[in-house]
Amino acid sequence: MGMVILGLRNLLRNKLRLVLVAILIGIPFFLLLAMYSIGDAMQRQTAVLAENVNTVLQLRARGSMGHVNMVGQDRILPQHVLEKVRGIEHVEHVEPYLLAMAPITPPNFVMHVGLAPTAVKRLESHGEAGNPRIIAGRDFTPEDAGQAVAIIGQGYADWAGIKAEDVGKATLTVDPTRTHPAIFQMDRPTRELRIIGMYASGYVFGDLQLFMPINTFRSIYGTGEGISWLFVKVDSVDSISLVAQRLRETVRDVADILVPEHAAVFTATTSRTVTQISGAGGLLAIVLMVTVVFFVLLMAVRERAREIGTLKAIGASNGGVTVQFLTKAVALSLLGGALGLLLFRAVGSLLTGRLFALGIGPFLPSHYKPLFESLAVGNQVSASVLLLAFVVAVLAAVIGGSYGVWLALTLSPLEAMKHE
Amino acid sequence: MNSASPLIQLRSVSKSYWKGTESIEAIAELDLELPEKGMVAIVGPSGSGKSTLLHLIGAMDRPTRGEVVVAGQVVNRLSQADLTHFRRQTVGFVFQTFNLIQNLTALENVALPMEFNGVGKSERTKRAKALLERFQLGHRLKHRPNELSGGEMQRVAIARAIANEPRLVLADEPTGNLDSRSGQMIYERLHEISRDRTVLVVTHAEDLARLADRVIHIRDGRLAQAEGSEADRHRPHAANFPQ
Repeated sequence: MGMVILGLRNLLRNKLRLVLVAILIGIPFFLLLAMYSIGDAMQRQTAVLAENVNTVLQLRARGSMGHVNMVGQDRILPQHVLEKVRGIEHVEHVEPYLLAMAPITPPNFVMHVGLAPTAVKRLESHGEAGNPRIIAGRDFTPEDAGQAVAIIGQGYADWAGIKAEDVGKATLTVDPTRTHPAIFQMDRPTRELRIIGMYASGYVFGDLQLFMPINTFRSIYGTGEGISWLFVKVDSVDSISLVAQRLRETVRDVADILVPEHAAVFTATTSRTVTQISGAGGLLAIVLMVTVVFFVLLMAVRERAREIGTLKAIGASNGGVTVQFLTKAVALSLLGGALGLLLFRAVGSLLTGRLFALGIGPFLPSHYKPLFESLAVGNQVSASVLLLAFVVAVLAAVIGGSYGVWLALTLSPLEAMKHE
Repeated sequence: MNSASPLIQLRSVSKSYWKGTESIEAIAELDLELPEKGMVAIVGPSGSGKSTLLHLIGAMDRPTRGEVVVAGQVVNRLSQADLTHFRRQTVGFVFQTFNLIQNLTALENVALPMEFNGVGKSERTKRAKALLERFQLGHRLKHRPNELSGGEMQRVAIARAIANEPRLVLADEPTGNLDSRSGQMIYERLHEISRDRTVLVVTHAEDLARLADRVIHIRDGRLAQAEGSEADRHRPHAANFPQ
């Protein structure tokens, strides 16, 4: 019959009170799990969104579109910028592009794009289109580097009389000498490119472009060095602002830097706001648990002062009294925790969703609210969360119960017996 | 134990309390020696200091001045750990309100001090059962205090007090909450256990006090008189007490 068992038996003295206390501890415990769940769901949601938002910065020669043959807009970035940018921390990789315009009638001109065969084919556009989708032939492979091959947009192919079934055999002649009011003549020989693939983008100008390996572009247009555009892929949305700052320090007034500020703002506001709110909610829940345990233990010491005195009078050590009271506190806390866990498993999804809508949703930046309207808050509790919850319950018991235990320890047997 | 050396010695012991700004002297410069074995009754009017005296001897309270020596230990100088040890091994308490642990059975209540003293489970269960049977409570082993009568509870308390075979048992008004028949029975039990140890009883009941080997009268924190009782002459260990 150790002090541990005595402490556990004391729990059962007043069953109604036990139930009430378990509920009082269970509710903040439920809140704690709910806050964790909301934080977790938000982190997952923002992680998914962050993966899909743009983390690519773009550099162009300052004040220029960077097209090698566009009247008044032909300034390009010097080649050394590429090496400098590659060395910046959090830069995942860089993709240099070279662009030239070519006249057609109608609708006036198409775009020739030189890029590394493995680079993402980004359309010269204003953001309306997605990336091109190959609809005939094949995409580039690393072996295509420097080869006279190209992938053509279906609109451009239509103008050139190239059908999908011709892809792989058809050729297109690139002639840098042809001009247009916006295009100046380049005194370079023509080059025949074999069309190995055809793409569709979903909008008219997007389909009027021709992709070729960058070294092939350089040899056609005589652009031995320099870059029209440099796309800089950053490792995460969190690093965008930092990388943008480093880029500005590195290239100074050589380049304009187009930063996807939206993505950076997204991380800086939404996920941080939610983390802070759910963290504060979790802390509040823990404080509530500690407070309940504190008052329960205080009441127990006051009620049982005579018993504590008796135990000391018949030889109980301070350690024994501590064990008895802490056992009671921990058992109460765990019981409340179990109740909170059961409640969370039963109605966690429903109540947590409502809790989020009422308690956190209103604090989100207004333009992000729709993103989280369908937040999937689960009622699953992983082993690690369970372990964490167990530790929190025990700590709440120890912290909340420590004052009561201290009171019990400082009572002399005589004082304790007079107490009643 | 050498019977010539006293079990309890109080040397110029005083105990004062503060009541607001007024100092109240519950025990005043008290000297007392009590030998090993036998029953001593402490009698006196309410507020005379008799319970305070008991608490000082039992190390439940510390004197303001003087020394309390029990079984060779100056109890008012013991550390917390030594006090715990002293309470486990040297002294047993019997309270007016029984003070049994409510959610333990009679058997568990008696076994508890032995558990604190490190006695193994089977041994303490055996000894607790034997003690309760000795006090005619063999049929109440599994009963909790709220299922026992006042007399039964006090017998459990006496069994608990001697569970670790202490040399001293202190009883504070042990019959105060009992009817006269039960009170008589409790005194008989206390007499019985005083054959092997010193039993110090605080009581208002003069008629029961007369059964003790020695009666100490206390008034205003001082000894009024100390005398052998009528029963002294009929007890084998009465010679231990100074006349």
